[in-house]
Amino acid sequence: MAVTNNYQQADTGTKMIHIGKNTRSTIISKGISAGHGQNTYRGLVRIAKSAVGARNYSQCDSLLLGAQCGAHTFPTLEVGNTTATVEHEASTSKIGEDQLFYLRQRGLSTEDAVGMIVNGFCKQVFNELPLEFAVEAHKLMNISLEGSVG
Amino acid sequence: MLKIKDLHATAGGKAILKGLSLEVKPGEVHAIMGPNGSGKSTLSYVLAGRGGYEITGGSVEYQGKDLLSLSPEERAREGVFLAFQYPVEIPGVSNKYFLKAAYNAQRKHRGEPEMDAGAFLKFVKEKAKLVEMDPAFLNRSVNEGFSGGEKKRNEILQLAVLEPKLSILDETDSGLDIDALKIVANGINKMRGPKRAFVVVTHYQRLLDYIVPDFVHVLSGGRIVKSGGKMLAQQLEKEGYGWIETEGAPA
Repeated sequence: MAVTNNYQQADTGTKMIHIGKNTRSTIISKGISAGHGQNTYRGLVRIAKSAVGARNYSQCDSLLLGAQCGAHTFPTLEVGNTTATVEHEASTSKIGEDQLFYLRQRGLSTEDAVGMIVNGFCKQVFNELPLEFAVEAHKLMNISLEGSVG
Repeated sequence: MLKIKDLHATAGGKAILKGLSLEVKPGEVHAIMGPNGSGKSTLSYVLAGRGGYEITGGSVEYQGKDLLSLSPEERAREGVFLAFQYPVEIPGVSNKYFLKAAYNAQRKHRGEPEMDAGAFLKFVKEKAKLVEMDPAFLNRSVNEGFSGGEKKRNEILQLAVLEPKLSILDETDSGLDIDALKIVANGINKMRGPKRAFVVVTHYQRLLDYIVPDFVHVLSGGRIVKSGGKMLAQQLEKEGYGWIETEGAPA
């Protein structure tokens, strides 16, 4: 998970190298860009010749807050045998005026509304974290994005 | 409760509301009907405070306050509720979490203590029964993957939970089959009371068979051109809008 705000740039990524037989892996990357922030994800999935029947699933989602930020995804897949299954999915979405207005119409402040949408976006990752850590991550996220909208 | 006086509004430089006046008192149900493009949805959005519209004239008074000077969330906390024509999906946010946040935002505004998770769950399950909604929906993400009818029912669930003073229903009947329509209408009827007012925006008379309005207004060309009782809706269903548009054309 990566968050950029103001003029920050983050260039992050994951390497997953499969050597053994029938090995499995999943990569979930969530990038959030706010202000003038730029988020870049570089992923390498290498399946060695020896990794017969290996499986990998990669998912890379980006969320944009505002019109000045950006998200970039560079996946690299190197597959050395014909029995491996490698999947890559990517999505980019923007917090829409409609979503914000919907939550505000129910009485939430703009900041709370943004926080709710962002935390919903990250839920898949937060759910994997130990509880104490997830609570920290949740709060940290809200602080990082303070004042980024409105 | 709500006094709209000579309201003018534009969207993208185009005049949509051109001198609309309407008064709603507590306990009343007003239906707003009108052809496509007459300004029905604009009226709903302007009352709820959505961006993208410019008020070029007139005033809206709500419980003695200038409604137009309040932000959307302030209006919501004061008891203005808009049931959306197209409810928005919020992925990853559970319905019950969203409802609790909205409910507590209002309680806080009224200076009441927040309701804790356990008590709220009990409360919201009662409300779900009102709209005959499976409690499983409370654990799903807000509107994500809901069918059209389920989304509309979810709007009414929110309405039941938040207990607004003024509810604006923006074409709540669109996309509903007859059974879903009855459930939604029943949910609304149970919410009716002497302190609550409803503004029901609709294309068709069908919804008004179930939610019987006290007044029916016809909106055309950005203003109310005719008002009457519930009989007016039936007449419209039979004869269309054509005759009113010619009769009510501004001199």
